This record gives sequence, C-alpha cells and structure tokens, in this order.
Amino acid sequence: MRKLLFGLVTWVSAVTAAHMALNVNWSVIMNDRLPLDKRKLNVAYIPVT
Amino acid sequence: MTDYISAYSQSGQLFVPRLFQGFPEIKEALMSNKMQAAFMVAPMAIALRAQGVPVKIVYLGHRYGSAVVVRKDGPVKTFADLRGRIVAIPSRFSDERLILFKAAHDNGMDARALHMVEMAPPDVAGALAAGAIDAFSMGEPFPSQAEMAGFGRVLFHARQYWPDYISCVLVVRQDVIEHRPEAVQMLVDGIARSGLWLEDGTRREAHRVHASDFVGRYYYRQNPSLLRWALTKPIDRVMYEPLSPRRRDFELIVRLMRETGVLDHDIPFEEYVDTRFAEGASGMTPWKYEAGSNTAQ
Repeated sequence: MRKLLFGLVTWVSAVTAAHMALNVNWSVIMNDRLPLDKRKLNVAYIPVT
Repeated sequence: MTDYISAYSQSGQLFVPRLFQGFPEIKEALMSNKMQAAFMVAPMAIALRAQGVPVKIVYLGHRYGSAVVVRKDGPVKTFADLRGRIVAIPSRFSDERLILFKAAHDNGMDARALHMVEMAPPDVAGALAAGAIDAFSMGEPFPSQAEMAGFGRVLFHARQYWPDYISCVLVVRQDVIEHRPEAVQMLVDGIARSGLWLEDGTRREAHRVHASDFVGRYYYRQNPSLLRWALTKPIDRVMYEPLSPRRRDFELIVRLMRETGVLDHDIPFEEYVDTRFAEGASGMTPWKYEAGSNTAQ
C-alpha cells in the first residue's frame, strides 16, 4: 500500500512539474505580479503577418 | 521577432507577447485591459476608436503580405469568376475585405456579388482544401500555406490593386500612452529595429530565413518552412519598412470603410493615430544580431 501511494505521489509530482515547466508561461505570471508602473506591456498578436 | 532578439540585448525583454487565434478575442482583451497593446487589422482599430474605445494606432506591423487565393484546379481563373462564390475574410473590419471591394471596382464589378464569410485566419487554408470555400483573402502565411501544400493559387496580391497596402497595425490603449509613454516608445523602437533588420541590405534574405525559424517555432507555432516561403518568395512579398503611419494610407482606409458600410461617420486621422512614437523611432538602426549569436545590440 505504501509503495503504491509513493508511486502515485511521485507520478503526480512528476506530471505537475512537467506541466509547470512546459505549459505555464512564467514571464506572464511574474509580469502580472509587478506594480503597474513596472509591468511590461502585454502585447497581443495572432499568427498572421 | 522583436521579443526574441531583444531578449539577447542589454535591455532584455521589452514586452510580453501573447498569442491569440482571432481578432475578436484580441479586441475583447484590449478593451478589458488584459492586453495593453495589440497587433490587429487597421479597419478594426479605426472602428474601435470610432466607437469610443480609448485606443490609438502608433505604428504598422508590416506592409503588403495579403493575397486572394483560389483552388489551383478550381474554376476561378480571373477576379470576375468570383461572382457568386464564397470568399473567406478575417473580419468585416479588415483590409482583406476592403481589397476585394477595390479589386471588384477595378474589374467593373460590385463586390456584393461575392459571398463573403468571416473565418479565423488559421482555418482558411483547410477550408479551401476541403472545398468549403471557393477563395480566401488573408494575410501571410496562409496564402503561402495553400501554395506550399499545392492546392492553392494566388489570384492576386493586395499590392496589385492597392499600392502601399497596409493591414496589420500596432494599437495601444490610451491610458498606457498617457501614463507610460516611455514603455510605448521602447516597444515601437524595438519593432522599428526589427523591421530594419529584416530589410537589412545584403543580409536581408539571411535574416528573413533566420526569423522564419525562430518565429515559426516559438511564436507562431507553425512550420518554419511556411514562414520562410512567406518571407522570401518573393523577398518583397511582405515588407517591414517604412512602418510609420502615413495620413494618406489611413484616409484611404477610412474612405473605403465608409463606402463599404462598416463606418458610419468620418473620423479625423489625429483621433485614431498617434504619430509621436513613430517619429521618435525614426532614427533607429537595425538590430545587430546574427543567427547563432547570443548577444544583440
């Protein structure tokens, strides 16, 4: 049972870490936490020239 | 592109780029202040301002780079053959729609004889391949996508009917212009330098090939060979200079918008364009950056 629980926690942690590394845009999150006057501008674009 | 190169410069990242898949979503994000600036089609920016949304155009994204594409093996051989057919456009408020009106006028036709439908840009090439539409009027790289895949043929490029054609413009919220003009200037300067880098004399083609690679991979999430096609076949298919907003270009767009029923009153140039940032960027030089380098100046 302990082995199963350990495996489950390891698996969930690994998937969470991979998700946070690959899918989360940290520059956006960190930028949005800055005071307004220090924030970089968020600039929207679409994949067309 | 500016984001990628500036990250290697001393000033570091100048802004935070955010990928969207359609113009209506960009409009909403701009209005709700989720985005402080955006690249969008010029008529949409003008219409937003005319509706009282506090935004202004400060710079262009590029010149040219839009085309009308039909099926290679289809029945449409000339513009007149588009009569009664389904043509996809990115938005009612787009230069890609206006160019159809301009081309129709020059061919002695009424553009209302075309059945125009709005479609998100990434969907048009697939729709043409599947036969769901007969043609599309769209910015690059979607004309290139249809050409590269072998099922599409460019009926005409926008410049054929519209010299100095512009489509994509940089729009900034008025409150940001008022309270953080230095941030706006930094953004415009970076874009100006990127444009000059893409048009940089003998390095022009090499820079465009390199830009296709990193923009395709990291920003557009598209096959880099597609962007390479769009930026080099021919080399002036999309141009990145001059990018200063010119009064006569925008007054033509306003006139066409009025004539085609998407703008109900005239709007003076100064009300929707702020030229001071373009003027501030006029002395800029191209980025000093080459492929594989880890510094940019």
